[in-house]
Amino acid sequence: MLSRSAQSLYWMGRYLERAQHQSRLLQLQTAALVDRPVQEIYFGWSRIYISSDRLPPGGFLELTDSDEFTLADSFTLADDLTFERSNPGSIWNCFAMARENARQTRNCISLEMWSHLNLVYLRLQGRDIQDIWSTSPETFYAGLTSDVDTFMGVAGATMYRDEGWHFLQLGRAVEKGQLLLAYLLAQLAAEARHDESTEEDWVSLLRTYHAVEVYDRNYSLDVQPNHVLDLLVSDPLLPYSLCQTLDTIGEQLDAIGRGPHAAISGSMRRLAGRLASVIHYEWPDVTDREDVLRKLAGFSRDLHDLITQTYFDYEVEIAVAT
Amino acid sequence: MTFDDYQLDDDVFDEMFLSDGTPRDHSRALHELLCQLSPQELATIQERVTRSFSNEGITFTVYGDDEAEERIIPIDSVPRILSNAEWQTIEAGLTQRIKALNHFLEDVYGESRSKELYGEPAIVHDGVIPVDMVRGCPQYRVAMQGFSAPYGTWVAICGTDIVRTQDGFAVLEDNLRVPSGVSYMLANREAVKKSFRRLYRMSRVREIEDYGQVLQTTLRELAPHSQTDPTIVLLTPGVYNSAFYEHIFLAREIGAELVEGRDLLVNNGYVYMRTTAGLRRVDVVYRRVDDDFIDPLAFRPDSLLGVPGLLHAYKLGNVSLVNAPGTGVADDKSTYAYVPDMIRYYLHEEPILANVETYLCRRPEDLEYTLDNLQDLVVKRVGESGGYGMIIGPHATPEEREEYAQQVRADPAGFIAQPVLALSRAPCFIDGRFESRHVDLRPFVLHGRETRIVPGAFCRVALRRGSLVVNSSQGGGGKDIWVVEA
Repeated sequence: MLSRSAQSLYWMGRYLERAQHQSRLLQLQTAALVDRPVQEIYFGWSRIYISSDRLPPGGFLELTDSDEFTLADSFTLADDLTFERSNPGSIWNCFAMARENARQTRNCISLEMWSHLNLVYLRLQGRDIQDIWSTSPETFYAGLTSDVDTFMGVAGATMYRDEGWHFLQLGRAVEKGQLLLAYLLAQLAAEARHDESTEEDWVSLLRTYHAVEVYDRNYSLDVQPNHVLDLLVSDPLLPYSLCQTLDTIGEQLDAIGRGPHAAISGSMRRLAGRLASVIHYEWPDVTDREDVLRKLAGFSRDLHDLITQTYFDYEVEIAVAT
Repeated sequence: MTFDDYQLDDDVFDEMFLSDGTPRDHSRALHELLCQLSPQELATIQERVTRSFSNEGITFTVYGDDEAEERIIPIDSVPRILSNAEWQTIEAGLTQRIKALNHFLEDVYGESRSKELYGEPAIVHDGVIPVDMVRGCPQYRVAMQGFSAPYGTWVAICGTDIVRTQDGFAVLEDNLRVPSGVSYMLANREAVKKSFRRLYRMSRVREIEDYGQVLQTTLRELAPHSQTDPTIVLLTPGVYNSAFYEHIFLAREIGAELVEGRDLLVNNGYVYMRTTAGLRRVDVVYRRVDDDFIDPLAFRPDSLLGVPGLLHAYKLGNVSLVNAPGTGVADDKSTYAYVPDMIRYYLHEEPILANVETYLCRRPEDLEYTLDNLQDLVVKRVGESGGYGMIIGPHATPEEREEYAQQVRADPAGFIAQPVLALSRAPCFIDGRFESRHVDLRPFVLHGRETRIVPGAFCRVALRRGSLVVNSSQGGGGKDIWVVEA
């Protein structure tokens, strides 16, 4: 398939995953505003901003005891993360970019996929923070996460299983892995910044990835940070775990096949294998888990670069006709 | 709903009604149905049609000072109806016209006996067209000199603007470079036929849905080396082009990859596209990029939209370019005036479709007439399109006319003038009632090794009351056209 189309589908997958992740984080964070202690709310905002490598508007967050201030801050932060046009990671921008990539590859996706995504985008145009805040922000964010699920369902039901499909899935998986790693590292960094974290902070982490019940079933009701990390990193059955995500990446790369240059394609595959082997074979025994997570985050960025060089931006030698 | 307040004038042809207010035969069923509908029902239909355009993202882009805005072309849901007999006239006229235009281009650029003997095209040598109309035309491409297009097909895809007056149909303009609008013809049909299901079925409307297939056949016919399974691509300037939606739409219809200049490269005289598995040879390029930008080595060197070496590959016969570069010399607003003469010269036939009377300001007598009668004429710049750079005399103030006259005096060859035409009108549903608005039509002619025209057109409507400008960039809208068998 045309490299540029493949690249657009790959990025469409990435942006949709990012939009959904951000929506999920904000859904839980705005739900917490109803009844959770102020410290937990600040910890949550901190974690989100650290993971997205962005400074909150107005600089670092300062803990305040006033509910009034906490709610006012939260309003500003949610606006920044949802509708702010100058924030490239805002939900608005993620949907706009996903739609833009879809628009450029409309001949590669089904009409149903395009119509659904276009409708989500058009609906989002008419909203602003004031309007969602006055009703139920968590319902709004939950709607967006399910919009992405519906889109993927529509794609699953209608998209031809050609390379385009695999690039879409590959983009999603690469993004999913990077987001999870960034969020786990942010949890550890926020913990260091706030000098402590509560059990509830780790529970909310599990909740983000739909893993609370699985944790209770596999471990115990007592939440241990190490067990949470084990579950989110190495559980082979949890859909959001790093282990599952890397398996998906491997499967998609197998389905796509080699690019034009064997050497770069080989490096890319070796790196994907190396990432998976760290999870499968090294993780259970490592002591400095933060260090390994950081290394994995670096690998996953390199993997993205190699995917780009293998399929989208490879070098070509040109001869001139006489 | 009623047509009680509907405007009918003796000097303007109405597409639905005779001058005494009775519906024309082929419009009777539509008229009856419209009379049975309530304004609410028609408003619902109108809203559904508009919403389907917005939901499916059938948009064009308008560039303002700061940012690009995606808009939908306002569609009027009341179809315009043509009888099959009327269509056959249009079809015969267009077929004749595209043949003559291709002959002209071959004569202008190709090697020929006349060139060998006299150093100029036969039509020039025989005094039918002055030489400066050809060589002096800004759209003349020196790079194409000495080249003969495969099968003599320079123009394979053409969108011709046709108007109707009390005197019949007339061609207003031939668009031979990168004509657009065909996707709206198909999208209008899709949306409108669903709203008038029973009437559509009973009226035996001629189908246009196979346009994609016909276009694909045409492109395949032009593949080099008579390849049976050529790789076809559609070359777009990209997502920022105002017609990008159409490019996606057509690529889908013909099963071609939608490529940008950066996706293609020329290696050893062949054109390739960059795929995830390496380079793949391309045989036919349906290009929607203007001549100037198509190849920085042959035309504008600063173009980022084109493919270096593409023209060379085309001239070697290793790839087909549709349309060929250089066709603008035949659809220039001045050359237009000579198309009836071309038909007589090359085909020895009388033109079936008339031209609009045109004054070429390059001729002193025409210039004088134009300046003396500016208040009654439409004057256009020859190099402009899309309704830009023109003045409609009767609608302009004396100051505007004087200012325009100065521009004409400064560069007479840059202007043509035509009488203000009483374009035909058709009923449109506006603000809850039927109002008459001026319309034209743009059918799409396909010409590979033979000519094919699907029986339909993009009907453009001047939605502003009294306006004669139908261009979508100037507040125009669209309508579906039904060619009915009965």
